[in-house]
Amino acid sequence: MLLAPIFITAIVSSFLLSLLAMGFTLQYVTLSIPNLAYATIAFASTYISLTMFLMHLSPYVGTPLAFLLGGLISLLLYKFVAFLRDRGTSLVGLMMSTLVFDLTIYGLMNIYAGYIAYAFKSYTYAFSLAEMDFSIGDVPGIVVVSAVTSISLVLLFHLLLVKTKFGTAMRAVMENYALAGVHGVDTEKILSVAWFFVGGVAGISGSFYPMWFYMDPWVGARMFISIFAACVVGGLRSIYGSLLGGFLIGASEIFVTFAFAGIFGVWIWSYRSVTAMIIAAFAIVMMPDGLAGFLKRLQMR
Amino acid sequence: MEGTQVQLQAENVSKRFGGFWAVRGVTLQVPKTTIVLLMGPNGSGKTTLINCMSGVYAPDEGRILFNGIDIAGRLPHEIVWMGLGRSFQIPGPFKRLTVAENLLVSSGNHPGEKFSSSLIKRKWKAYEQSLMEKMFRILDVIGLNEKSDTLAGELSGGQLKLLELGRLLMLDVKTMLLDEPVGGVNPVLAHSILSYIRKIRDEFQTSFLVVEHRLDIVMKYVDLVYVLAKGNIVCSGSPDEVVKRKELYDVYLA
Amino acid sequence: MALETLILDILSFFSIYTIMTISLNFEQGYTGLFNLGLYFPIIAGALIVGYLPGRLAMVFYNIDPTLDFSANNAVVLSLLKTRLQADPFFSVALLAITLAVVVVVCAILGYVTAHPALRLTEDYLALFMLSLAETLRVIGQQTDWMAGGVMGIGLIDLFWCIGPYAYYGRAALVIGSALAIFLIYQRLCASPLGRLLKSVRENWLTAECVGKDVSQVKKKVLAFSFAILGVGGALHAIDLGAVVAGDYTRVDFSFWPWLMMIVGGTGNNLGVLAGTFALVMMRRVMIVMKPFFTFLPFDVLWLEPILLAIMLALTLTFRPAGIVPERPLKIKNYMRRVLHIKLQTKEEPSKLLVGR
Repeated sequence: MLLAPIFITAIVSSFLLSLLAMGFTLQYVTLSIPNLAYATIAFASTYISLTMFLMHLSPYVGTPLAFLLGGLISLLLYKFVAFLRDRGTSLVGLMMSTLVFDLTIYGLMNIYAGYIAYAFKSYTYAFSLAEMDFSIGDVPGIVVVSAVTSISLVLLFHLLLVKTKFGTAMRAVMENYALAGVHGVDTEKILSVAWFFVGGVAGISGSFYPMWFYMDPWVGARMFISIFAACVVGGLRSIYGSLLGGFLIGASEIFVTFAFAGIFGVWIWSYRSVTAMIIAAFAIVMMPDGLAGFLKRLQMR
Repeated sequence: MEGTQVQLQAENVSKRFGGFWAVRGVTLQVPKTTIVLLMGPNGSGKTTLINCMSGVYAPDEGRILFNGIDIAGRLPHEIVWMGLGRSFQIPGPFKRLTVAENLLVSSGNHPGEKFSSSLIKRKWKAYEQSLMEKMFRILDVIGLNEKSDTLAGELSGGQLKLLELGRLLMLDVKTMLLDEPVGGVNPVLAHSILSYIRKIRDEFQTSFLVVEHRLDIVMKYVDLVYVLAKGNIVCSGSPDEVVKRKELYDVYLA
Repeated sequence: MALETLILDILSFFSIYTIMTISLNFEQGYTGLFNLGLYFPIIAGALIVGYLPGRLAMVFYNIDPTLDFSANNAVVLSLLKTRLQADPFFSVALLAITLAVVVVVCAILGYVTAHPALRLTEDYLALFMLSLAETLRVIGQQTDWMAGGVMGIGLIDLFWCIGPYAYYGRAALVIGSALAIFLIYQRLCASPLGRLLKSVRENWLTAECVGKDVSQVKKKVLAFSFAILGVGGALHAIDLGAVVAGDYTRVDFSFWPWLMMIVGGTGNNLGVLAGTFALVMMRRVMIVMKPFFTFLPFDVLWLEPILLAIMLALTLTFRPAGIVPERPLKIKNYMRRVLHIKLQTKEEPSKLLVGR
């Protein structure tokens, strides 16, 4: 089965972006502020994959490490923001506090890149590990890995949310933080675990990215646009909406860009982020509640 | 009641939120130079109606006539300049501005607030001065003279209610929608606020639509009463009449 | 000479950042518009400076139309240099036209951006503005015809006509503009307009219900501050003599200004100025110290965001109001300073005015 590169890009992009968007929204809904450091934390894990490669191992070996790294950083971030929140810091201040982590990880990530460039005598500022991927027939391994990971994680999440006591507690916290606390739910523990898990998943998604795409220090900033667009299209506070939005943006970024490349020329290819932003702008104006809101309104008629 | 005697009128106003009708087919009239009380249990739609009248919400059905003009769906700032102002149930002051600034900002067509003329002091100095004179007079009236330099965020509940009133006085509105003007205020202050409202009515021919829960205090100051329950007007009339109506008790005891 | 250059360098850097932080304070500190994407109009201004003056000059001097300013940058620049060196009038005219275009285009951008921005809550708005700015950065970086794409582009120097003093001319322009801009903002904020903006920040619904057209206010604030930010970006490019769109990163042109504003104290211009000065000095000192750290196996440049993060964390934890917190305006001071009404004794202000 021969897949044209454009389809591979669309598939991998959609699965990774849907996971990322869903994670972002989950953190947003639980803390009531968006985590500005999210993309940077996710993409810091690309360097774990790179390190594995430089040590002559398959990049996939680094996946558990990526999970751990993303999880720990997210947990720390949550603790810091919660600390400031409990002191009465304003919304603006809380969002700035997430920036603290964004900047730190951004700096540390590039310092690490510089260090391993020195240690392994290799160019690390822009890289792709696609050639290190295994293949199933003609299909690159990442296609299967991203699809399987994404689908299984979403299913796991859904089962967790619906079937377990932890999940019920978490839904309570998401609905009404204060009320859940009054009912005896250990809100701090629930949120800490949730943030660790989401951060870990973000780390995994990030570590898969260079298996097809090119990584450079500004991918985080650019992916932030796509994540934002995915959440806008899906409905900013809807977790499953973001999942859907991630798919749509991931796929349409590619297809729309591809369609225009036919008309305007190949240079349009670099404008993937621009396409996402245009879609997002449209969504804000036409559908402020996103797909989730749109579907809810249909339900009510 | 004759049309020319009516200042503000809601005609068959309805407003829904999702599947829930907060206000359904409400018709009421606020005649000129009158204080009208809108009462009802919690959740009956009183604040929603005020919000529709003041432009915060656009009603889904019906008309809202102010001086004969339909203002339904217009923006709050437009409605204010037509002469209809409102206060809030939970006061919304400008917390990090002083009491004086809170009042000074409640002004219209201030050349100092426009980008073009604010750079040239000459263009707004006189206006600002006369505005300050007015502000001092109103501070005197509402009794917040001592607090003119206090940040609004540091005022007590009763003082905030006075500030709400002060802002409306600055705006020179012909009709005021007051959402719980004496809510949470001590009885002495409540009585003085309400008698002051009567004074404004007499001196300036201003009309009022007052939403209040504290019937023991408020009844003797109002001219007309409407009872609202579950989004519908249940009965209306003079205070003495309404107090005797069976529907009133059904609505509160149900 | 070296000291003179150093001082002018610091002042220029300080001036550019002042333009950015004061404008940010106008948007966020006064009006409450959470603009995390401050660099959007800055990049627009820089791109216009990269695109317009060179091409206008080419047309004016009838330079070979087969040459493209972007693609044949070096060649065109040398051709234009000889002509502009002898033509001060056209140089000034070009500068004026370019800045005028920057102001108009960025004002329009601000006005248009306000429309979707009005519908968004604070947190959503921050994300939107950040994404918008990053998108423009991507566009600027990828588009060769605008301002040289990834490689960037050299600019014609509008001060070539004063020969050896060009450097001083540029510095004078930048520092003078920043001073003028600061004074304009100060005037605006000290007038009733400042009060109006703060009321919108504090409670936009109450502001509407005291008769303020909040949508119009926000649109005008964004239009005005975007125009100024565009000028800031343009001046930055002119000072540098080049435009490299990719260099206008969110860290350098949004997060640093945010920190400067927060450290200094939001809501008051003097505080912001203090914060800007402190951090500009700090960054310049770091650049001077750079050569001492070459033993490190990585580029010291990457320590800057970490330093920024630490400072931000410390400020938010220990002094969130900043060095110079916003202070309430006392009526007596206001009357004396702004309306020039002197109170003789411990008179009640009200008695002074009533009866005039």
